[in-house]
Amino acid sequence: MKWQVALGGISLAALTAILAFLAIGEVNRLAEADRAYAAQAIESGAMEFENLCRSCHGPQGLGTPLAPPLNIAGLFDGARLQAVGFNGTVEDYVRGTIAAGRPVPSAGANYPQRMPTWSQRFGGPLRDDQIDALVAFVMNWEDRALAGGGAAPGLTPGEEVGTDITQALPEGDPDNGRALSEGVLACAACHVLSTAGPAWPPAAGAPGIGVRAETRIGEAGYAGSATTAKQYLLESIIDPNAYLVEGFAAGVMPANFDTRMTPQDAADLIAYMLTLR
Amino acid sequence: MPLFRLHLPVLDEIKSKGLKGALQSKTEDIVVRITAGLGLTDVRGVLRDDPPGRPNPRLKPHAEGFWLHMKPTYYHNLMDGLYPTFRLGWLSTFFFAFEILTGVFLMVFYTPSPLVAYENMRNILSNVPFGALMRDLHKLGAELMVAVVALHMLRTFVTGSYKKPRQFTWATGVVLLGVTLVLSFSGYLLPWDQLSLWAVTIGASMVEAIPPEVVGRTVNLIVRGAPEFGAGGLLRFYLLHVIGLPLVGIIALGVHYYKVILHGHSLPPEAEDVGVDTAKRVPMESRVYFMPQILTRELWYVSGLTALLVLVCAFIYNAPTLEAHADPLLTPLHITSPWYFLWLQGLLKVGDKVVWGLIVPGAMTGLLLVLPYFEVGPSRRYGDRRLGLSAAAISVAGLAILSFMGSPWYLVTTSPDQEAVATLLPQTHPGPLREASWEDLSLGSYTAAAWGAAPTRTLQGLLRLFDDELSGVESPDRQGVEGIMLIEDWQTDLKKVTLRVIWTEANGTPHEYSQSVYLHRERNHGGGG
Repeated sequence: MKWQVALGGISLAALTAILAFLAIGEVNRLAEADRAYAAQAIESGAMEFENLCRSCHGPQGLGTPLAPPLNIAGLFDGARLQAVGFNGTVEDYVRGTIAAGRPVPSAGANYPQRMPTWSQRFGGPLRDDQIDALVAFVMNWEDRALAGGGAAPGLTPGEEVGTDITQALPEGDPDNGRALSEGVLACAACHVLSTAGPAWPPAAGAPGIGVRAETRIGEAGYAGSATTAKQYLLESIIDPNAYLVEGFAAGVMPANFDTRMTPQDAADLIAYMLTLR
Repeated sequence: MPLFRLHLPVLDEIKSKGLKGALQSKTEDIVVRITAGLGLTDVRGVLRDDPPGRPNPRLKPHAEGFWLHMKPTYYHNLMDGLYPTFRLGWLSTFFFAFEILTGVFLMVFYTPSPLVAYENMRNILSNVPFGALMRDLHKLGAELMVAVVALHMLRTFVTGSYKKPRQFTWATGVVLLGVTLVLSFSGYLLPWDQLSLWAVTIGASMVEAIPPEVVGRTVNLIVRGAPEFGAGGLLRFYLLHVIGLPLVGIIALGVHYYKVILHGHSLPPEAEDVGVDTAKRVPMESRVYFMPQILTRELWYVSGLTALLVLVCAFIYNAPTLEAHADPLLTPLHITSPWYFLWLQGLLKVGDKVVWGLIVPGAMTGLLLVLPYFEVGPSRRYGDRRLGLSAAAISVAGLAILSFMGSPWYLVTTSPDQEAVATLLPQTHPGPLREASWEDLSLGSYTAAAWGAAPTRTLQGLLRLFDDELSGVESPDRQGVEGIMLIEDWQTDLKKVTLRVIWTEANGTPHEYSQSVYLHRERNHGGGG
């Protein structure tokens, strides 16, 4: 019996010692667990961004004609907040926009669609923890965006294709044109992936853009000045309001592509579009 | 006449006995009240293991107190050793109390709502001092309790202790086993992550099968609170876990304990003549008194076990990592019910849900409950019960086989390409890729077959594992199987890892299966909850 009392006493002492040992490291453990959960939020936010946001905000959040870039200095240095007159923090702004969407376009920018609501609290599909994860992911761009790493390379004046639709373009490479349309220029966001603009691929009995470009210029209602299919496509890209396809309003397509592509880019893109029959 | 008169009896006592005498008598008085019958000298005698006086004052707390009312005053010395009880019944009660204490701690930080439950769990693990330890203790205790209670029942069967007059004790024991299983199962849902939601969904899926359909649908609605688990289901399981089942458990445990006092501990089968129960007639020379021997031992067990459990949870055991938030729309690959219900999942794979998921387990439980009322052979001796003991052995083996059948290794058909990717990126636990050192995942594109060319040992190991798994994908239908691991720099401290399996079908069409994961430098997959 005596050894039982002794063992019991030793156990109590050991228990106290273990708890004391744990108590010493507990603050660090909690901090580490906190960091681990913040990291996990960024990971799942990355997954959600790829599934839900990328189609409009573009790969790596660099923006498309459908939605503004997020991976840019302007979002994090306060310029965008100032433009929309928002007084909270960038994180609050991002969270609010993702959760509740946008009833009106931000900062006078002309995007064809409004940001939808994503939080379940506002009729969207995402839980609070998913919203938090997305915010954590977007906020994690801050360092690189402020360092300029995220911005798309701009064109120097003189390299731009300009607005003359009669100019002679170099030989086009349709494969590169396709890459441009799905990547930097993101034409595919509206013309392939959604119905914000006239569909490029053949669909529902209608031929593709390559055929329509050839027939359109001969049609009675055509109001533009193009005389060939290539000119028609170039006109549509760099001067989109010259002629509006029935069912689409003026100003939906950004009118700044004349400054966003080189003549070679334009030639490649047109070569690709002509293959869509 | 004064308005009121102050009357303090203690003053009278001090007057008559002096200050010291009065304090002594008051202390004695308080000790007797607390111990329900033992004075200071008696307590000292117990601690020093002095021989008790006559009449034995150490029997008083059993007769007059509430807590010791549930304990026998003395045990047969044949019941004092490890055999025949293996202390399993005592251990079951210990874990019941242990789970209540750790559970109450966790309850303080938990709200049973899908909106915050998962966040609460994270808070417990990353913001509550000792929160992770308490969760580990509660989880480990629950797993051990299931095992201990099941073994206790097996032991009771093997020694024939369920036989007359202890039939009803056995029946309450079966109820307690059920309570233990459902307690553990209902607690499984509460963290509200993918693992808990889907393990419980699988476990609860059979209620839907109850025929006719209207009954199944209604029972399912009652259990889950909605067609699928959501706010209602979580709240119901929580209430079941913290109120309903503990209440039933405490009542059944009370009856169970009372019956032990009433009938005494059943002696080892070979110690009595066949058909005789001598548990209540313990000769004076065979008695081991609860006080002090048994009491001291139990106190040492409590402190020793607690220290051991804390030690194990602090340095060895971790409760499963909190997986992603519960998502009713996304079933993880290879998810299983908890291990103690795997046999049920195995039964479901045998055939019809109604027959094998409801009728067979229902009949098994019913049979267990009434076993002592129809198995009335008088002998408890092992030699006389060959049939019964064989049946028990076969049942245990059967449960083991069924549990294996319930696991993902038996009759689960997934495509081998998904299987190969899931080896590196499992959906029910972190797995080798997520646990690999982040720095060692060098950016680049690697093929599994050329694993030797990878720049780091970690990558070589992962690619080699991938390559081994890919050999299972190659078949006459799938030619030219190739595995690719692409590691990209995605954001500050964030890498994207894509696993891609490419093959060509027999008719020449190329196929591809790929899965991506994002890995952050500071994600701690092993520890940290």
